[in-house]
Amino acid sequence: MDLDKLRKTAAEVVSRDDVKYLIGWRRGTFGYRVAPHFIEDAAGVDELIFSPLCIANLANYLTLTEKLPVPRGQEADTRKVALLVKGCDSRAVAQLIVEKGIKREDVVVIGMPCPGMIDWKLLAERYPETDVAAEIGWKGEDFLLIRGEEEITIPRAEVLAEKCRLCRHPNPVLSDITIGEAVEPWAVAEDSGVAEIEAKEAAERWDYWEEQFSKCIRCYSCRNACPLCYCEDCILDRLDPIWVNRAVNFSENTAFHLARAFHLAGRCVECGECERVCPVGIPLGKLNRKLARTVREEYGFEPGLDPEAEPFQASFKPDDPEEFIL
Amino acid sequence: MTEKPKLGVYVCHCGINISATVDVEAVSDYAQGLPNVVVARNYSYMCSDPGQLLIKDDIKEYGLNRIVVASCSPRMHEPTFRKALQEVGLNPYFLEMANIREQCSWVHQDREEATAKAKNLVAAAVAKVRLLEPLAPREVDAEPAALVIGAGIAGIQASLDIADAGFKVYLVEQSPSVGGRMAQLDKTFPTLDCSACILTPKMVDVANHPNIELLAYSEVEEVSGFVGNFEVKVRRKARYVDVSKCTGCGDCAEACRLANRFPSEFDEGMGKRSAIYLPFPQAVPAKYTIDPEKCLFLTRGRCGKSPKCVDACKPGAIDFEQKDEIVSFKVGAIIVATGFDVFDANKKPEYGYSDYPNVITGLEMERLVSASGPTGGEILVDNGEEKIVPKEIAFIQCVGSRDQSVGNEYCSRVCCMYTAKQAHLIKDKIPDATVKVYYIDVRAFGKGFEEFYDRVRREGIRYVRGNPSEIFKEGNKLVVKVEDTLTATPREDKFDLVVLAVGLTPRSDDRKIIDLLRLSQSPDRFLMEAHPKLRPVDTASDGIFLAGCCQGPKDIPDTVAQAKGAAASAMIPLARGKVAIDAQVAEVIEDTCRGCGFCVSICPYSAIELVTINRMGNMVEVARVNEALCKGCGSCSAGCLSNSIQPRSFRDRQILPQIAALGGIE
Repeated sequence: MDLDKLRKTAAEVVSRDDVKYLIGWRRGTFGYRVAPHFIEDAAGVDELIFSPLCIANLANYLTLTEKLPVPRGQEADTRKVALLVKGCDSRAVAQLIVEKGIKREDVVVIGMPCPGMIDWKLLAERYPETDVAAEIGWKGEDFLLIRGEEEITIPRAEVLAEKCRLCRHPNPVLSDITIGEAVEPWAVAEDSGVAEIEAKEAAERWDYWEEQFSKCIRCYSCRNACPLCYCEDCILDRLDPIWVNRAVNFSENTAFHLARAFHLAGRCVECGECERVCPVGIPLGKLNRKLARTVREEYGFEPGLDPEAEPFQASFKPDDPEEFIL
Repeated sequence: MTEKPKLGVYVCHCGINISATVDVEAVSDYAQGLPNVVVARNYSYMCSDPGQLLIKDDIKEYGLNRIVVASCSPRMHEPTFRKALQEVGLNPYFLEMANIREQCSWVHQDREEATAKAKNLVAAAVAKVRLLEPLAPREVDAEPAALVIGAGIAGIQASLDIADAGFKVYLVEQSPSVGGRMAQLDKTFPTLDCSACILTPKMVDVANHPNIELLAYSEVEEVSGFVGNFEVKVRRKARYVDVSKCTGCGDCAEACRLANRFPSEFDEGMGKRSAIYLPFPQAVPAKYTIDPEKCLFLTRGRCGKSPKCVDACKPGAIDFEQKDEIVSFKVGAIIVATGFDVFDANKKPEYGYSDYPNVITGLEMERLVSASGPTGGEILVDNGEEKIVPKEIAFIQCVGSRDQSVGNEYCSRVCCMYTAKQAHLIKDKIPDATVKVYYIDVRAFGKGFEEFYDRVRREGIRYVRGNPSEIFKEGNKLVVKVEDTLTATPREDKFDLVVLAVGLTPRSDDRKIIDLLRLSQSPDRFLMEAHPKLRPVDTASDGIFLAGCCQGPKDIPDTVAQAKGAAASAMIPLARGKVAIDAQVAEVIEDTCRGCGFCVSICPYSAIELVTINRMGNMVEVARVNEALCKGCGSCSAGCLSNSIQPRSFRDRQILPQIAALGGIE
């Protein structure tokens, strides 16, 4: 990763008159933490990083701006937002364009081919965080952890995030500026997580999800972290009528999670943010990937690859299969 | 709503349609005990005058402000009861119907269970009606003009009726002349009127009528808007002939380097025409047209030293510089009269239509017996060796009709009779001919049809019941292989000429008009009417009507009757000058709409568009419903992720309690 080139490009982009700010990543406050970094002028680029810990999908921030009221007497700032994206993040941008969440001309996409990200929890398990600032990078196929004098090569398979193991689009699907060489997509493992659940009997599946959804504390992190959950007023928050009760119990939690999953059918770009941010470890990725696979296999549609595509949920073909209708 | 709901529930017996299966007494007793119900009654026919009076009197006496009628499907009588409410000053939309007929008594047998279900349905309607909001239907101005698409007899008749009533008509015909299929026919059954003699005066009338703008050789390109206010764009195709100069003399066609070289569409390919042509002598307008796909000058850029038609045309009407022209106008109503195609006999290869020149279709037979046809009315056929006057002639019925193997299950309704007529005409012209008709069964249902069928049988036409399996050639004769199913005898009969009584099929280019006007097709692929019995000329789209064979096979009198019906219906908005817009349409909650446009793609009526609004200082796009186009179908609502678009009277907060009540939750 050519960090200098990234910072130089970022500096050029934020200096443009038509760019409001650039959203990237910077080192967090402790250990392996990485934080989103909003850069408004060239000075901010020094802190900009791109490492295997930059797993967060920043496309989520694109839809936030227009929700903020403009104070009376002021004009809305209509300048572009520049955004750093990995392959999966770029798909979120493409899908947002498809569903008019953002306009293509309102965003400057800086794409970075992604060799794979680290699951921070796996890393911390094996190499506990310390006060010493850690730096992590790629080393060939593997990862390299530099901490003070320590230099550790970590085998890729040991800490690679689950979503990256299943990633089919490591290179950005759209970008205005690309930094770094395109990476060769790797052999994707069979999604054993989904297959495992599919193999269960209905009653067993029910028990499995009952256990998972019962854990939910309804913090809504999954929804809030999702780049494609950005309604002004989420129907799961509505009071008239109340679709999902606020009670935290298995029944209401299930209603919440299923509504969320179905709203994402044909829209989810499998960036894995929902599962990553879940504080109680519900395997939401399995749910999303199951729906994504159905859409891909039954309808031949994969969201977030073509910003010109017709939105899946709003398109109809007379020969659409209906096998899944009971 | 500040007013406390006061409900009246009215349970209809519908004669015994409901009361035979549902204990209506028990249902009204049950309703009486439901929350907010002031009065519950049952009555034999709620839709009758006394039934309506019951409701109206109760509204006045008890001050009812919400009404539930438990009867039939709302399709027929919702307007009836709305009107009743309105008459006594209640908002017509404060009505909910519980369908205890189609959805209960007609589909159940067990009285106890049906009664229990009827109670549930009433409870659900009671739960919803309390939450309904007052709505006000609106009216918009209607353009006093009509568009008629297709100038066959249906389009001609509809245009004349509307124009005679004093409204402007734009009559669009894609071919160079009006007249359509009827112009191709020789005589008409059962009266044997000369088709041309009764049609041509009408063709001339449409061309000369001061209220009709005839757009021949034109195609509708674009239609937008809604009843009363359709915006139409029509492409006038270039004829390459200045119609103001062309006198129709025909010198050009004779002079044409490719004179009489192409099969004439009008003569079903049996006659010839030139690259510049008049489809038939009585064509209206009587103006020549250059076929751009055939003309040497237009296809190759040169035609000898100079095109012969240009040299021959004394008024100088030929204009190779002519371009297609787009004409725009506004109309209040549209009549679709696009007609039919004849069944392609090649889809029944066992009859050898493409192999034997003396196997012909019914429409080709029309041209062959017609005095204006390619043989001047003399029946001459090529038996593969020579031109002969056929002495043994067979007709095969139901070719491409009532035939699942070609996907046409329907009866084409005209073939039995046109066969009888053609058999008669043959007998008339060739008195010593033997004519046999192979039929499945003869459908002579119209006025004078059975009499005509009897007459031709008396004339010696032989009817043989059987569906031929094959036609093959033996010497210079055609052999029809068939089983006579009345005597269970296999036969092989020899003929000089076989006429396939081909049926009617939807036009192959119907797709264009379906997409333009968002029409529906019935399972037979003909255009679908709004209701098979009570709205046979309407479509699901207000202000768009059907006439003639585009809606289904029919004969000339039925076509004319439907055209007159469509014209009368189309004139309703034109004459009123206003159209009512239903208030029960979708509404966007702009505060929460995120402008994704899913509803725009989903809407089957193109009733939604995205507009930019200022939301707290940010310019954002949101959906907006054109209330005149919306039918309140709710598809948008089902597709909206943020739940920001909902049909009025079917809002979530109105239907969720209804569903809960169905499940026994109050």
